[in-house]
Amino acid sequence: MSDTILSIKEVKLAFGGVQALDGVTFDVPRGEIVGLIGPNGAGKTTLFDCISGYQRPDSGSITYFENSGTVELIGLPPHERVTHGIGRLFQQARMFPSVSIRDVLRTVQHRRMKVGLFRSVLGIAGASAEERDVTQRADEALELVGLSAHADKPAMELSTGMLRLCELAAIVAVRPRLLLLDEPSSGIAQKETEALLPLLKRLRDHLDATVLVIEHDMPLVMGLADRIVAMAQGKVLTEGPSAKVQSHPDVLASYLGTRAAK
Amino acid sequence: MTEFLATLPGGLVTGAVYALLAMGLVFIYKATRVPNFAYGALAALVAFFHYSLVNGRHVGIHLNLLFIHTGFDATVRLPFWGAMPVSLAFAAVMGYLIERFVMRPFARAPMVTNIIVTLALSALFSALAQQWFGGNDLIVPNEQAIFPRTSALSIGGVKMSWEQLGVIGLVLAFAAGLYLFFRFTETGLALRAVATDRDVASLQGVSVRRVSQVAWIAGSMAAGIAGIMLASLIVSSNPSLLVLLSIWGFAGAIVGGMTSFPISVGSGFTIGIVVEVARHYVSRADATKFVGLPETVALGAVIAILAFRPPWIFKGIREEQDSGVVSRASGVDLRIGRWIDPVEAYRLMRGAMGQVIPARAWSVIKRILLWLLVAVALTFPLFPLPEFWTFPLNLTLIFLLVGLSFVVVIGWLGQISVATGAFVAIGGAGAYIGANFLHLPFPLPIVTGILLSIPVSVLIGLPALRLRGLHLVITTLLYGLVVERALLPRFTAASVFHRPTFLSSDRVLYYVFLVCTALAFAFAWRLNKTRMGRAFRAIRDSETVASAYGIQPVRTKLTGFAVSGAIGALGGTMLIYQLGSFQAQYGTVGFSIGWMLNTVVGGITSIFGPVISAIVFGLLPAVSQGAVQAAHISFWPQVVAAVIIIVLMAINPEGLASFGRFLRTRVSAHDVEDEEDLEAIEAAAKELVNV
Repeated sequence: MSDTILSIKEVKLAFGGVQALDGVTFDVPRGEIVGLIGPNGAGKTTLFDCISGYQRPDSGSITYFENSGTVELIGLPPHERVTHGIGRLFQQARMFPSVSIRDVLRTVQHRRMKVGLFRSVLGIAGASAEERDVTQRADEALELVGLSAHADKPAMELSTGMLRLCELAAIVAVRPRLLLLDEPSSGIAQKETEALLPLLKRLRDHLDATVLVIEHDMPLVMGLADRIVAMAQGKVLTEGPSAKVQSHPDVLASYLGTRAAK
Repeated sequence: MTEFLATLPGGLVTGAVYALLAMGLVFIYKATRVPNFAYGALAALVAFFHYSLVNGRHVGIHLNLLFIHTGFDATVRLPFWGAMPVSLAFAAVMGYLIERFVMRPFARAPMVTNIIVTLALSALFSALAQQWFGGNDLIVPNEQAIFPRTSALSIGGVKMSWEQLGVIGLVLAFAAGLYLFFRFTETGLALRAVATDRDVASLQGVSVRRVSQVAWIAGSMAAGIAGIMLASLIVSSNPSLLVLLSIWGFAGAIVGGMTSFPISVGSGFTIGIVVEVARHYVSRADATKFVGLPETVALGAVIAILAFRPPWIFKGIREEQDSGVVSRASGVDLRIGRWIDPVEAYRLMRGAMGQVIPARAWSVIKRILLWLLVAVALTFPLFPLPEFWTFPLNLTLIFLLVGLSFVVVIGWLGQISVATGAFVAIGGAGAYIGANFLHLPFPLPIVTGILLSIPVSVLIGLPALRLRGLHLVITTLLYGLVVERALLPRFTAASVFHRPTFLSSDRVLYYVFLVCTALAFAFAWRLNKTRMGRAFRAIRDSETVASAYGIQPVRTKLTGFAVSGAIGALGGTMLIYQLGSFQAQYGTVGFSIGWMLNTVVGGITSIFGPVISAIVFGLLPAVSQGAVQAAHISFWPQVVAAVIIIVLMAINPEGLASFGRFLRTRVSAHDVEDEEDLEAIEAAAKELVNV
């Protein structure tokens, strides 16, 4: 069995004249936290969109190695990728604004539920048991992130930080094998960011998942990631263990440009 | 070939009117971002105003003060062209009034709010037109036509009348004027700037307000001219027919992305020609057999163009984020019911009053109310009520289902569809087929009615997979139009539907209906609490996030459309059992829009919404009108609903999206932190729209 969970090869995508991704190639080792860094416009979020299915690359391949076999992801719609165990959090904490967060956590378990429309409406043939199971799991996940007290509030009434927690609870309930996090620290206070580091690590251990994370907060990403992939202008600049990438001259030049110049 | 050419002038002239309507719509949309669904109704109102001046209108003003008794009575009668300036002034005043008192408070409202407000205006105008000018059809005799109907020229068998030539010339002149206006006037430049970017334009010192004023006034005058021309061309018309035909103007505008004048004009002409030429050949072959076919063909073409957006048409057209092709960040816009849903309203009030009534007491009260409702529903026919009560009662149960159908598709699934009237007609057709052709015993015709609705709702749902918001509303309007033109005429007075003898009493039928309605409500109530109901709300709030958690947008939407359609169709089967034959008034586009608005007032996200709207807008007016008039739908409830919607929406200038927050900031004493959090979320949502 391979040690790689995701293999990205020569992925290219252009928007009009802009080459957003220009032959991106790297592997994500199973069970590790891989940080994706780079200046604005480097193509990080576009790459995430390609992995989770919201964008279709012009060329290249994205291969996902399940326990049971390999899957070529390009061409699969986003909701199909979920069934293969790929989870995604967006840059802005997004949920279903008008739905109570307990219901949000029941909603995200959609794919775990097997009972069809009519059986679930009639509440027969295991439908009630499944419903109870889903509710229990939702409540457990909320408790894990400490949101139980807010379970009946609609998501739109939560602060961004709490929404982040709600998203993490959703991840706990869904249990993805590969988790894509797009700037988990964006929109939340510095103090909360500091709390995020141990929380994310705990989450990874809890789920035994592989994490690919985009992050601008350098201390956070260096503390979090086992490996770093640095991107600039649609290309991979360098990759390797965190400490090595951090001191790589190209990274300093492109990403922390001003400091390197000093 | 000659025959084909001979049909062209008719198509060309109809197309010219659609093109004019499309131009006016694009004009207003570019300047204000409002898709003006009241456009056709305004055209009808001005046309009726104009012809009542031409025919002679009685004007009476009476003053009765303490000592002064004076009166003024006169009959105003003007020649056609003498009345024209008056009618155009009327249109301009209407445009000004709409802009100043209705649309201005909604300047920054989300698209959904604008759609609902202009639909409400549309219901208001067509009801007013019927009220002022009587329910009679408007017939334009030869001497009152816009231009003489005598033959103007004849080239190789192709004949054109002065009327046709004049209308085409007038539309082309209007288009040329519009071109010059945009190119060479300062206001035209300002309008182009606003159309490109409102905020940047206003930062450069362009008065967005003035631009939108100009657009509404000019656009309304164009609507007036189009309405007068249309009334003259089709000779015999009524307000709802004019509203219906104006949907083609909308189709033309939407094919042009609501922004491109040349493409909108071109598609307006194309639709007119296609429909008229097809109508000619259809009527030559077999008019009754193929009734509605031309409209169906045109509908198919428009939907195909919208769904596939071929680059050879859309080259160079900026895709409008608001036009619905790109979804807005979330369905927050759709929290329509929150402020009119009594349960939600109570929840908000409870926060403010420091929980005067504890939650447990409230749940007891709710339960008591529910059982009271059930008890009244069960025993209603046993009350010593006059006989005329039974018909409105049975009708109310049908309206309950119509409302529920809207709640499922709009309130829960978040797809603005006005196809429910079509489903009512289709359910009626299915029951008719089941009983009269397949000779099925009761209750199987009800089942055939529901079954027939399922393929149709998939057909209607299919465009919804690619289209959103504005595009979807227009597509479902077009579907409604096709049902109205192709299906409803097939129900003639001769198509009698026989009730089984044991159902001959309306009171017995009431209990059958009650069971059907209760089952539908129980189904919807359970559905809302289970997996699929949650998936509906996820799709409504954010399709992107929903699919990131594995919810299949295609399957979920089609299921929602099917459930909504089946509920509407059930109402249709009940209707045909009640009426004994299908009456066309219940399947029309106007019926759909009217009941959608009523349901919005009742509360479109709540299962209790339809109960309120059916009682307020169905039962009460029908009963108050008594036995005789109960048979036809009064338009006063529509007027009331329209005014309520506009007023309620105008209370909060930011529109529906933030109404919950608006109420809470006014009503409850909450801490500042909450407010900041909400600001942050709002900011994030705005950010998402931009990304």
